[in-house]
Amino acid sequence: MIDGSLSHALEHVQSELLDKRLSGVLQRLIRGGPEQQAIEAGEIDAIIDYSDSNVILFPAARNALRTVAPGESGREPVANSLLAALTQQEYQRLAPSLESVTLPAEAVLHEPGEPIRFVFFPIDCVISLLPPTVGRRTLEVGLVGFDGMVGTSLALGVNVSSLRARVQIGGTALRVPQARFLSALQESQTLRHELNLYIYAELAAARQTAVCSSFHLIEQRVASRLLMTSARLRSDKFFVIQESLARVLGVRRESITQAAGELQRRRLITYSRGNLRILNRQGLEAASCRCY
Amino acid sequence: MNARRGKPEKAVNGSKAVAVLRLYVAGDAPNSVQAVLNIEAICRDDLGGACDLEIIDVLQHPQRAMAAGVVVTPTLNKDYPLPTAQVVGNLSDKLRVLLAIGIRSPEND
Ligand SMILES: [Zn+2]
Repeated sequence: MIDGSLSHALEHVQSELLDKRLSGVLQRLIRGGPEQQAIEAGEIDAIIDYSDSNVILFPAARNALRTVAPGESGREPVANSLLAALTQQEYQRLAPSLESVTLPAEAVLHEPGEPIRFVFFPIDCVISLLPPTVGRRTLEVGLVGFDGMVGTSLALGVNVSSLRARVQIGGTALRVPQARFLSALQESQTLRHELNLYIYAELAAARQTAVCSSFHLIEQRVASRLLMTSARLRSDKFFVIQESLARVLGVRRESITQAAGELQRRRLITYSRGNLRILNRQGLEAASCRCY
Repeated sequence: MNARRGKPEKAVNGSKAVAVLRLYVAGDAPNSVQAVLNIEAICRDDLGGACDLEIIDVLQHPQRAMAAGVVVTPTLNKDYPLPTAQVVGNLSDKLRVLLAIGIRSPEND
């Protein structure tokens, strides 16, 4: 690995050489011609040197391409992982259809059996996926955060949801109308690829839920659920009431009170009136069943 | 970005006025991205899809650009219908692009 300052110095020398070359090629352009006019208007990214068929980038384009190069940091961060994986061009094409919406806690994005009208890319909210059940008790089979999307069945060609998508922790998300999402999916290989991986992970997590809810202890499950929420939210602090934890884990409220009390007694979390804070992540991981 | 070929679409009202356009870009550089968005909007909104658009990344295919007489990017070449025409820049001046393409928009017919 090249030392930071050295690589910076090399870059500087390189760009000076490029600038010298650039001015050489520029002098060969027709004075006042359309190319020169466009250059003066700042509308040109690169110029081709016919003497050796090299493409020389203008400084602004050079900087922009450097920041979008794969694996490079510096690109303006897109707050949802699936969208961040798109190339600049794919993202720019989708951007006009992305609508920022605020989702309040408990809001239902879609019910089982309903057509999916929008897909949602969460930014700082968390959405719970719940299959239909009879009565109040349910079992969460998925938790969608900044690294995912709500409405994945569309990508599989099914435009009706089999789940209830309910906002667990309120916040912002980017939503895209169903039709626009489907055309973006056709246009963007990256989006298809990323979604395939994500849907696979979602499926694996749902399968794990079956094991978790049948075999693991409630205290372990509560710890796992808190770690999962924290990961989806990128935060150690969040608001979650006991009733809601009981509902998504499919257990009684008293069991949650007991489990949370024990985690608190061991100083792994603090929990008061819904305000939860993870104090000792490693300890909480050890206390969990690691189903997250 | 790889060179990619847009699907040639049937012209409206059965007319065969399909414009063959080639846009030369430098990867995802800002003006290139802008030019792609602009020409795609023009093809869709003003030409009613009656255009065969190919986007060529000169970073990957400099020879193709040189063969087409392209000096800077972005550059849009209209290869058909004749006469050929060229517009350089990010294509934000829509009237200039339409004039160069030489096809009036369906709404103005
Ligand atoms: Zn478990």
